[in-house]
Amino acid sequence: MATQDTALDTRSGRRSTAQRNALFLRIAELAPIVIVLFVLFGGALVLALLQSLGFAPWFGINTFPDFSYFGALWGSSAFWVSLGLTLYYGLVSTIIALIMAIVLSLALIKPFRGKTLYKYLYKLPLMIPYTVGIALAVLMLGNGGILSRLMALVGMIDNPGDFPQILKTHYGWGIIAVYVWKQVPFMTLAIYAVLLGIGRETEEAAAILGATRRQIFFSVTLPQILPGIVSSTLICFAFNVGAFEAPFILGGGYPDTLPVVAWRYFNDANYAFQLQGMATVVSIGIVAGVILFAYLAVYRRYERMRGRA
Amino acid sequence: MARKATNTFTHLSPFQRFYLVAVAALIVGPFLPLIIQSLAFRWAWPNLLPTVWWMEQRERSPIPLAWDYVLSPYSRVYEATFNTMVIGIAVTVICLAICLPAARVLARESFRGKNSFEFFLSLPLIVPEAAIGIALLMIFINLGLAGSYVGIIIAHLIPTIPYMVRMLTAVYQGLGREFEEQAMILGASRWQILRMVTLPMLMPGVVAGALFTFLVSSNIFLLTFFLGQGKIITLPTLLFSKISGGTLDASAAGITLIVSLPGIILLIISERFIKEEAFGKGFGN
Amino acid sequence: MTGLTKAALRKGLMTAGALVLTTALAHGDEAAEQFRADFLDGKLSWEDVSKRAADEGKVNFYYWGGSDTINVWIDSVAAPAMKELGVTLNPVRITNTKDAIDLVLAEKNAGKGVGAGSVDAIWVNGENFYTMKQQDALFGSFAQKVPNAANFDWNPDDPRSLLNLRDFGVVTDSKEIPWSGQQYVCAVNRQYVDAADTPSTFEDMKAYLEKNPGKFTYVKPPHYIGNTFVQSVMYAFNPDGNGGVPFQQSIDDLGAAELARLIKPGMEYLKSIEPMLLGADGGKARYPEDIAALDGLFLNGEVYFNCKFGLYAVHTGLQTGAYPEKAEAFIFPKGLMIANKNYLAIPANSPNPASALLLANYMASVDSQASKLENAGMPVGIDVWKLSADDASMVQKAAPPLYGVTQADLDANVAPDTNASLVDVIEGTWLEYIERGSSSSIEEIVDTMVKQMAQ
Repeated sequence: MATQDTALDTRSGRRSTAQRNALFLRIAELAPIVIVLFVLFGGALVLALLQSLGFAPWFGINTFPDFSYFGALWGSSAFWVSLGLTLYYGLVSTIIALIMAIVLSLALIKPFRGKTLYKYLYKLPLMIPYTVGIALAVLMLGNGGILSRLMALVGMIDNPGDFPQILKTHYGWGIIAVYVWKQVPFMTLAIYAVLLGIGRETEEAAAILGATRRQIFFSVTLPQILPGIVSSTLICFAFNVGAFEAPFILGGGYPDTLPVVAWRYFNDANYAFQLQGMATVVSIGIVAGVILFAYLAVYRRYERMRGRA
Repeated sequence: MARKATNTFTHLSPFQRFYLVAVAALIVGPFLPLIIQSLAFRWAWPNLLPTVWWMEQRERSPIPLAWDYVLSPYSRVYEATFNTMVIGIAVTVICLAICLPAARVLARESFRGKNSFEFFLSLPLIVPEAAIGIALLMIFINLGLAGSYVGIIIAHLIPTIPYMVRMLTAVYQGLGREFEEQAMILGASRWQILRMVTLPMLMPGVVAGALFTFLVSSNIFLLTFFLGQGKIITLPTLLFSKISGGTLDASAAGITLIVSLPGIILLIISERFIKEEAFGKGFGN
Repeated sequence: MTGLTKAALRKGLMTAGALVLTTALAHGDEAAEQFRADFLDGKLSWEDVSKRAADEGKVNFYYWGGSDTINVWIDSVAAPAMKELGVTLNPVRITNTKDAIDLVLAEKNAGKGVGAGSVDAIWVNGENFYTMKQQDALFGSFAQKVPNAANFDWNPDDPRSLLNLRDFGVVTDSKEIPWSGQQYVCAVNRQYVDAADTPSTFEDMKAYLEKNPGKFTYVKPPHYIGNTFVQSVMYAFNPDGNGGVPFQQSIDDLGAAELARLIKPGMEYLKSIEPMLLGADGGKARYPEDIAALDGLFLNGEVYFNCKFGLYAVHTGLQTGAYPEKAEAFIFPKGLMIANKNYLAIPANSPNPASALLLANYMASVDSQASKLENAGMPVGIDVWKLSADDASMVQKAAPPLYGVTQADLDANVAPDTNASLVDVIEGTWLEYIERGSSSSIEEIVDTMVKQMAQ
């Protein structure tokens, strides 16, 4: 065996061989994930960036670096409206879902009859595709939908046109409803898991010391579940900003959200528009990236401050 | 005082009781009209039940209606289910093969830049899917991978790897080193240790990760829609093409129920494997 | 770590780049190239075509899959019939015909030539065909070279042959073969609207909406159903009073200024009814995105009228429960009910060209046309006067019933469709002037659109 052959080596020499072996093993173990993510994910992003800057030799276009696609995009007011709508749907639904999820996790942590069943039930939206949520929104919230019929039943409206329009408006309540419906269980799962892990001792102690419920929540519970909140809101917000199907079906039409705009550009037979679509895609990435990094930075800073205090 | 305080932690307040019921109604409630719609022939505003049911028209209609259509090959439900399964299983297997070794290193070893590396691994979760989808489509059309199983499976790896590697790392961290070390002392080879000791102990976590990965893959719409180019349909894209106009007829309602089915089955199975605590380790940081 | 990842990144990018460039330089399939040339030169017999088709064994047919009745017909009638001819029909349902055109063009631009694409046949007409023809993405003049070409009138001296030779005014050059002939027909819900109140002109409709706001809408352009509605409005308000006549010319012959003059009153009419359309009292008029959405509104009584291409739409709607019980067709707009044909086209880079020809020939047969008419409610695309007496009566018997109108009424109110080169301009003007509420004048908008198209 190798150890016998190297028994006479100096100590340092033996260590370096072992270290090198370990290093090779480690690289071999990490290689697949690095290759897949760098080539596919990184490669896609870099190519998107290159194309949005005019590098597309396969269409016979190569004007790299060419900022005119971004110029044309950012120069139009429609882009900024689209961006605003995209962020609005993403942000509002994330906030609503977060509040609902916190309240739900705080209730779930307590013992109650039927809890086992309930814990199955609330996860249902997590398990099924967004398109199902969209179908349910169409069925429930449309002007001819179930809610509208219930209102007609109690005599509040006598015409489907009188039902307040929820779908296909730029207020986007239909889109938001779908995101919230799907993401409350996701956030609840993350927050509830953290709550389970930390136990209730600190809160009980605070209560015995006479803190009000509000005080307990904001100064004891919230800081503890913050990691779960941050990671799940990051994921949900990023998804909402990049999602296509809900705004496509339930959105209010022109101006569309950015992913839908990008898709329309991309589907244009005119190839110059495809590069414009790439510029749109890269813009989504940049905006989402900046917001998420700022969010993370603020959170880290907060954690550091808390650590010092 | 103390007694009252304990009460707040062990008993639901009336508001919480109401809230739990409301959330449950919100989540499950819409499925009732969905089932009714799937059985309807003509169901117009303002009727709360169909005026004509599918069963009444079934014999008279020359074409298959409602569930007859959904369960016939014409609806493409079988094809979409098959594709969803094949893609989901392939993605899960490849994902496991890629993530298991990486998770071991991430859980057991420390190296320079590990934090940034871990951050990079979770980046696909926070880069908008539309950006990845359209950029990949561009590449895949040129490589001839657009509209192929291979192309879709590769694309699905991007959003599934981050989940899988996080869950497996958490599993590895929860697993003591002692058994493996003992086996090594007893003279077992690396491969024997992996096969006889590590893998059996990892099994519950691996199953949970695999189920979750399958679930994520089977729910992906955008990447499949962009890269499948209509040639490869899965359950989510099939449903999308049925409802893209913003209406839901009987057959669309039936397809919606079918599309929900795998998730419901997985939900029932997975509760046995996915523990909240394990999940929390994957996401709570 | 960073060294490793940088190297991986560089390597990955280089590989991706190299692959992209090599595939871009790939050529078409030479055997397919030869087949195309020989067939179009008339050197091949139909047996030769059938033989090659049997070797190919498969045909990828891309079509709009939004209708269950058509889907069922394709799967249950067309696919088995093709199987008997030794070819597996692979029907690809798409939500938008343009997706298939884009795919063909994207593949063509990626260097995939004859025999190397992925689409064999597309159900197409109008601007989509025009785009393919302009981009030189069509297989060639095949329509008069298949055996069942005998079922169509190709004689340019006979005015009845017009829709076989021109598609939205664009000369087809036999690069597509007619599949179905349609007419734009509106349905009304008699539960709410009686015969006396039923509008027959656009002015009547406006008067009706003033009394019953919100009870009408049309499918949103650029959907072709919406485009066609807009076109019939343009005809009706043509300031010269000659309806669709000037709209038969191409944009090059007509000129931007003249087109703007012709469509200005029509656009203004559309703008004037917008505040009375569905949902307008809630702040914004709602235009459904597709036929299914319009059907849903019609069924729920949100709107009382449903305008689309569909001679037998009422029949199909009653059969599937998609239409309200009291639905029937009516003549609207009087004298301006646009009729046209839709076609099957074969793309230049079809991977199975012989099978595509076999499919085109089968779809043009009397049997398949009659069966499609009876089961899917799709009117025939073949010309009945070219058929034998037996075949003609078979087609006649297969026709579903009409509700509220007679075939003679419909024939008496036919109008031609719009030249394809104008369709994009009119559609673009609608999007800019109506949907986006542009403050520019119609003249300016049309001028910009025409310049954009010319690029």
